[in-house]
Amino acid sequence: MIAKKSYSIPFIIWIIAGTLVPLASIAYYGFTSRDGGFTFANVLAMFRSDHLQALGLSLLLAVISTVICLIIAFPMAMVLRESKYGKQGFLIFVIILPMWMNFLLRTMAWQVLLERQGVINALISAVGLPRQEMMNTPGAIVLGMVYDFLPFMILPIYNTVSKIDEHLIEAAYDLGAGKAKVYSKIIFPLSVPGIVSGITMVFIPALTTFVISNMLGGGKINLIGNIIEQEFTINSNWYLGSGLSLVMMVFIIASMLILQRFDKTGGANLI
Amino acid sequence: MAELIRLEGIVKSFDDNVVLNGIDLSVDENEFVTLLGPSGCGKTTTLRIIGGFETPDKGRVYFNGQDITDMPANKRPINTVFQNYALFPHMNVGENIAFSLRVKGEDEAIIKKKVADALKLVNLKGFEKRRVDQLSGGQQQRIAMARAIVNEPKVLLLDEPLGALDLKLRQEMEYELVRLKKELGITFIYITHDQEEALTMSDKVVVMNEGYIQQEGTPQEIYDEPVNAFVADFIGDSNILSGVMTAEKVVRIDGVDYPCIDGTEEGFPPKRKVDVVIRPEDIDIVPYGKGLWNGTITSKLFIGVHYEMLVQSENGEIEWLLQNYDQHDVGEKIGMYVDPENIQIMHKPKSEAEAAIEIDL
Amino acid sequence: MKKRAGKIYVLIVMLFLYLPILTLIVLSFNEVKSMSVWGGFSLKWYDELFHSRLMMGAIVNTFSIAILAALIATVVGTLAVLGMAAMKPRTQSALLGFNNIPMLNADIVTGIALMLFFLMVGVPRGYMTILFSHATFCIPYVILSVRPRVNRNTDRLYEAALDLGASERYAFRRIVLPELWPGITSGFLLSFTMSVDDFIITYFTRGAGINTISTLIYSEVKIGIRPSLFALSTIVFVVALAVLLVINVRKDKEDRADNALQAL
Repeated sequence: MIAKKSYSIPFIIWIIAGTLVPLASIAYYGFTSRDGGFTFANVLAMFRSDHLQALGLSLLLAVISTVICLIIAFPMAMVLRESKYGKQGFLIFVIILPMWMNFLLRTMAWQVLLERQGVINALISAVGLPRQEMMNTPGAIVLGMVYDFLPFMILPIYNTVSKIDEHLIEAAYDLGAGKAKVYSKIIFPLSVPGIVSGITMVFIPALTTFVISNMLGGGKINLIGNIIEQEFTINSNWYLGSGLSLVMMVFIIASMLILQRFDKTGGANLI
Repeated sequence: MAELIRLEGIVKSFDDNVVLNGIDLSVDENEFVTLLGPSGCGKTTTLRIIGGFETPDKGRVYFNGQDITDMPANKRPINTVFQNYALFPHMNVGENIAFSLRVKGEDEAIIKKKVADALKLVNLKGFEKRRVDQLSGGQQQRIAMARAIVNEPKVLLLDEPLGALDLKLRQEMEYELVRLKKELGITFIYITHDQEEALTMSDKVVVMNEGYIQQEGTPQEIYDEPVNAFVADFIGDSNILSGVMTAEKVVRIDGVDYPCIDGTEEGFPPKRKVDVVIRPEDIDIVPYGKGLWNGTITSKLFIGVHYEMLVQSENGEIEWLLQNYDQHDVGEKIGMYVDPENIQIMHKPKSEAEAAIEIDL
Repeated sequence: MKKRAGKIYVLIVMLFLYLPILTLIVLSFNEVKSMSVWGGFSLKWYDELFHSRLMMGAIVNTFSIAILAALIATVVGTLAVLGMAAMKPRTQSALLGFNNIPMLNADIVTGIALMLFFLMVGVPRGYMTILFSHATFCIPYVILSVRPRVNRNTDRLYEAALDLGASERYAFRRIVLPELWPGITSGFLLSFTMSVDDFIITYFTRGAGINTISTLIYSEVKIGIRPSLFALSTIVFVVALAVLLVINVRKDKEDRADNALQAL
């Protein structure tokens, strides 16, 4: 044996100090009132109408973005699987490259495009149409989410789809299945693990973002991420911020549990 | 021949799983000893204890009379050819073989010569610069041998070294191993689950099952005189029949009283229930009614050199396995005769470990 | 026909992915400060970028934190993997479960949790707290990339080295480390890029007065987009392109070498 258990000690200390205790401190603040007593108020504050509205909008926009990503990504993954450029990695390369660019800059690019004085409006007015108000709308936020997170949907799906044995598909055709049946009975079920990890990698950051909504929503549209961020950075109410974070974590965990039911491999192929 | 390695009362368990149940074993200098048994029988653990990769819970290991139980692997004059070879993937063939010499800090000129010699010995002259993953399975196997013997160990441990090779290559390598052993003049301790390998190469075969040594002896002894149903079943094909001693040196098998040669001296008094081993190739086919037993052939398979037949006996429920060079048809009624010296009488199994392996079909 | 449809589809997705970036690149050379009017070619925004003390400081912070965090994560993570190999499967999977938390959790929660932790223990937020936080979220990636390399085979190679007389240290340095090396380097690179890319966790764990590239972009965008950010985008894009190309070419060469070997 190369290994000695004691090698893991720094890691275990790091988990405790970097992960477990910090999470515990969210729980502590979340259930503590400003005067130091125990309270449910911070958690129940999620039911305040402005918070509920933000949470509802976050869920709605996250679901819409995730679905759009999935609709774009699945055919893309199939094309990549069949393309000779896909296997040689050129197309994969092209999809990975934007991920390497800072996502704030990528989001900023859409600001430049959608702005009232921006590129798209300049094109629109050049053909004589009135300028459109595209910024600061839920649509702009969805667009930003799809743009930022699309590669995170394509790659895991491509990873599983590319590993499907061609013989399985041939066998299905051989056994009399039509194209639709091959997709619905063979390819789709086999790509579920990739789809599940793709959804996880898009849905959770979309649900919790405050950056995209801040940059493309112009501070006028509040998602739950914005509310929590403001409690910490502007209102300095850590208690309320922690309470709301706890509720948001419940949603994250719930969505993961739901997703895991579809994928027996669990989180194993998230990366 | 002088004794080189002695294991005394070795007990080893992992977690709550007892793997070795008190192994006593003696290996002589220059002997080719094979530990034979199914997977999980404890042979690999025994080998790892000799190699110094495991420490026994109880018992001692002696080398040349000296207690080496607690000596680490890198200090023992024993080298191992690992299952799947464990060649270092980031080193070329020459570097792999030179490894132990470099560790010792040998002179580069000597290393070069010794590596070349070792390669020559395994018939791979000039392979020094090859990458390990460029080699075929058989070549990798030879390199693993060369690496293990270049430092001139007193004992070579071989952990199923031929397991990954195909049949033809395996048979070739069996001859190679015997030749190498002769040229090197060192002790080989070999483990395998393949009875044919064990019988072909070894001076001594040690049959193991469930952490116990079942039988120890020359290949001939193991084959001809298995001590229990497990050994009989594991070594070659056999009919293992229930019998009962009806008198001194008389055993009733399948309704027939039959005189046998061995028996009394090993304590088989009358009325004792016993197991009887009859090898399928020892059963002669005689005309119907002329045999000791009579029956009908129920199935027949041609296996290369001979035919294998199942015969339903008329006396009872017993189905006999026969091997014969002559062709007989299914449905044919035949008589069967066995020479008394080809009947081996054994004690009934006292434990699970001594019983024949049940295979569900 | 079908092939054609596939190609058009890929083209549309590519346009969607790259047109925004291309817009930024074009605008970074624009003489005038406009998002839609072309005023002639100029490098002045690059000049402004390179003369910005704030930006230069942020770049130094970003890369020094990324290198240090990746180093710490690589050492802690690799040791952790080696240690875990000696543990019972149950303990291992429990540890791996904890290890997954920062990866699966939303960044905002991880960031807030770390911030509250620093506030509770009374550590002033600054360079060191960012570094600690980055190492925290990098360790899981190192463990994920190194762990597959530690298996029965590594154990066997290590034993083979001992069997051939090597000391434990020698066997570790000459046999085990080279075996783990690909996992270690990819863990390091992954950590490095995750750290450079991070905004949310840095945002919550930094103190006033310290910026990384990400946090600086965020605060500048809030005030109003300056074309020097377009120049930054262009540089980041070109660097990413160059690095990825180098990685790809190297991988390609290895693949081709492997293919050639297999053909032998």
